[in-house]
Amino acid sequence: MSWLRPRRLWRPAPLERHYEFVIIGGGIHGLATAYYLARTHGIESVAVLESHYIGFGGSGRNTAIVRANQRTVENVRLYEEGLKLWPVLTDELDFNLMFFNCGTLNLGHSEAAMNGIRMLASTHNLVGVKSEVLDPQQCAEVIPGLDLSDRPAFPIHGGLYHPPGGIVRHDAVVWGLAKGASARGVHIHQGCEVQGIDTSDGRVTGVRTSLGSIGCDRLGIMAGGYGSAVAAMLGIELPIHPLTIQAMVTHPFKPFLHTAFSSGAYHVYANQTLKGEIATGAHMDPQVNYTNDATAYYLKHQAEALVELMPALRGVRFMRIWSGLADMTPDMAPIMEGELGYEGLYLDAGWGYFGFKSGPVAGKYMAQYMASGERPEILAPFRLGRFLENRYSGETAAVMKYGHWD
Amino acid sequence: MTFRLTCPVCGKRDVYEFTFGGQERGPRPEQDGLSAEEHFRWTQFRLIPNEPQEEWWYHGQGCGVWFRTTRDPGTNREVR
Repeated sequence: MSWLRPRRLWRPAPLERHYEFVIIGGGIHGLATAYYLARTHGIESVAVLESHYIGFGGSGRNTAIVRANQRTVENVRLYEEGLKLWPVLTDELDFNLMFFNCGTLNLGHSEAAMNGIRMLASTHNLVGVKSEVLDPQQCAEVIPGLDLSDRPAFPIHGGLYHPPGGIVRHDAVVWGLAKGASARGVHIHQGCEVQGIDTSDGRVTGVRTSLGSIGCDRLGIMAGGYGSAVAAMLGIELPIHPLTIQAMVTHPFKPFLHTAFSSGAYHVYANQTLKGEIATGAHMDPQVNYTNDATAYYLKHQAEALVELMPALRGVRFMRIWSGLADMTPDMAPIMEGELGYEGLYLDAGWGYFGFKSGPVAGKYMAQYMASGERPEILAPFRLGRFLENRYSGETAAVMKYGHWD
Repeated sequence: MTFRLTCPVCGKRDVYEFTFGGQERGPRPEQDGLSAEEHFRWTQFRLIPNEPQEEWWYHGQGCGVWFRTTRDPGTNREVR
């Protein structure tokens, strides 16, 4: 009856005193980087340190929507490659990531928003990514049940339909990458909290953890929303605000929502999971924090916004609410940097709302960056130094005004 | 869970009555001789360790006062 025995996807590994590469953060970004370090660059001594359990942070708390409908060409290029990796990884990891290519629809609620949407569609088409502008009737064909009348406070003026987008099972991505990395010799240490970073003569030499000191030659900070707290251990200031986003799911029902949709004006994004629940969220608490607090205040707001857009959802119950961290930068674009004042130190942070969909592609290029020491050309727009030169990414010119940090 | 902040005028009130004003960072650097880089470093770069910090808050949906308090980002709660 050996087939009844549960098989571990990743192997427990002994904690060694020294690794060539240490990655802080056992989420999608950290695991993907470790996976590509081992797979593509043939590095045999890699450790991933996770303070809780793998996928505890944003990797297991996002609403699983993937898309490549950013505002600027350099961002669209990166996310488009990320989108194309899901089927490839499903095959490569031999693990079903449950990529559901359902498309996404972003609603516009004013003529200004529609102009923004036209700009987005033009940018996407320019670089060969499929997107089109829809009128309200076409929106209702994609998302049945939308209220097209003038009854909502912000009536629907149209939308941006983005067929390459979809949803991916986020836990499967974490487990699949852990399986693939572990099979290639990566040591994954859970319950291993980093408490300090050791340096000597301007070089990173190791980390102090709750399980003891570990030496390393190269260190990657890929701790998602906790990245600014880890960087603070070395006194590195970053243009990052870690903020909680709240998300929630309704009880499950019959499939009716076949496309993920979002609305900037109502601060809502929603999709129906393969289990039948409506997963929805978007609200962000304003104060910097490293908690996972969720509040009744946003539960109420989310219900009001969803019912306003889709009156048929009145009376549907929320089952669970949770929150996760988003590390917001002033220009809504990430920071991938290897020049932080310490040789061997790399940072992958500031992904804000976009950390899930970018995980594998960020890992692929961060692995290349860390292994070679040379910045890949595709990462050039995401230097930390851009904030000191007033050369912000144009990402904030997308439809929404996000918040006080941009 | 939501939490409360202590307004110096109104006492303990729900956090959603307030607007977050960011870390207390001392006076703005002198404009004379300030390089662009120093300016951007001061306006955008922050050190946010997971430990209590001094912050500014605005009681916008209450008495309208700006005040300072010490709060722990690791728990969201005020520290007295």
